[in-house]
Amino acid sequence: MPNVNINPDDVMIKLRGLKKIFGSQDVLLDVNLDIRRGETMVIIGQSGSGKSVILKHMIGLLQPDEGEVAVDGITISTPKYFDARTIRRKMGMLFQMGALFDSMDTGENIAFALREHHPELTEAQVQKVVTDKLKLINLVPEFRVKMPSELSGGMRKRVALARAIALSPEILLYDEPTTGLDPITSDVINDLILDMQSKLGVTSVVVTHDMVSAFKVADRIAMLYKGRIIEVGTVEEIKNTANPFVRQFITGQRKITSEEE
Amino acid sequence: MSWWRYPIEGIGKILISGISNIGEIVCILIRTIKCIPYVHKNVGLIVKQMVSIGVSSIPLLFVTSIFTGMVATVQAEFQFRDLVADKFVGTAACKMILIELGPILTALVLAGRVGSALAAEIGSMREKEELDAYTVLGLDTYRYLALPRFVAFITMVPCLTVISNCLALIGGWIVCVLALDITSYTYYTGMQYLFQPMDLWAGVIKSFVFGVIIFVLGYYHGIKAGAGARGVGVATMNVVVSSCLMILIADFALAAVLFK
Repeated sequence: MPNVNINPDDVMIKLRGLKKIFGSQDVLLDVNLDIRRGETMVIIGQSGSGKSVILKHMIGLLQPDEGEVAVDGITISTPKYFDARTIRRKMGMLFQMGALFDSMDTGENIAFALREHHPELTEAQVQKVVTDKLKLINLVPEFRVKMPSELSGGMRKRVALARAIALSPEILLYDEPTTGLDPITSDVINDLILDMQSKLGVTSVVVTHDMVSAFKVADRIAMLYKGRIIEVGTVEEIKNTANPFVRQFITGQRKITSEEE
Repeated sequence: MSWWRYPIEGIGKILISGISNIGEIVCILIRTIKCIPYVHKNVGLIVKQMVSIGVSSIPLLFVTSIFTGMVATVQAEFQFRDLVADKFVGTAACKMILIELGPILTALVLAGRVGSALAAEIGSMREKEELDAYTVLGLDTYRYLALPRFVAFITMVPCLTVISNCLALIGGWIVCVLALDITSYTYYTGMQYLFQPMDLWAGVIKSFVFGVIIFVLGYYHGIKAGAGARGVGVATMNVVVSSCLMILIADFALAAVLFK
């Protein structure tokens, strides 16, 4: 169900004319998208279409060749913008494979950034935050001593999510959160994404090609096709769209049918 | 388009790529050195790296150093036999080991063991997006990943060189006493003869530079590693080859500066 509390004019992330070329490959040609404060925006598109590249532009891991990226009113895509860390503290990201620090246990993974950014916290306070975040993702505190190598794919993503929310971000970016997981574990992750929005009130951007997940978590869905956003709409609007490319993708057809063409 | 453009363009591309690579390597070094004020906050990570780079390398260095010392001494005795007094065997072995063999062999062994491991570790972290995860969490990878390794390399390579020197000299002594019929006293006085403290310091200074070379090339090839197991494999090979070459070139340059 669309979140009724979202103000359509309150834009949290703004992408304008985003262009990115890797070598001879044109990945993004002209991406324009507004993500509203508090909403969950799902970006769908084929594998290799550049969805993750958009996400990395939002958090400043990549700089566009042309165009503008603004987060909470601050343009982060110009060379003049040096203090990327300030804006990153507002954001958390769940990587496709979790990207947990292999040399640290679960508790250390969650606490590491917290200790560095908040040296004023006592060890007891840090451990309380770790416990709270583990509870938030439905894991028992005893989990903190597990090493990443001992965790299953779903567990790794849950711990990675706990790490992403440790600094209480306002924006959460999810890169293919359900890829490689079985349907039941995928649903657990979907529920967690919904929980994060309802309990923490974060703005979420989810990149996926898993339509079950997209329809469950999205307030709005944007479709990336050949370097451009070709459709943006609510779940219902996307389900009933007349755009043949969007219909082809959401129904999983190999070819566009003649009727739709 | 004329045919002669192709070789000129090719040479141009190689030059641009080479200069760009050197620039990136220098940038890594500068960004790491700029993090030195944070050394005291990273003591735990530095000690961990010192153990991994230094302490764990001692068994391998023990074997290579002992045998290097033995071979150097046997060769010195063989070349000098019937020409000079036995005590000069100790003199030659000591000079060879302290000035050249100890620092060079230690650096080459460490380039193979820990330089390649560094490239593989950083390459694997890059592949698994751990480096991006540091950045996203607002953590500087140079402070948390590069600095501890840099400090460990520049301190442990000289330490290991001194240990290697000692072990090689012991190897020489063992072979003198057991196989060459040279007494401990003769070997010991030979070592002292013509010894200058600069012999030892030159090796330590060289090994410091070698430590910087192994670190910076290992880190550079790690962050530039291609995708997949093949990418990491190529990165480890590149770090061993480039480190060995740079160590030998730097050795020549340092010898020219330190012993002119």
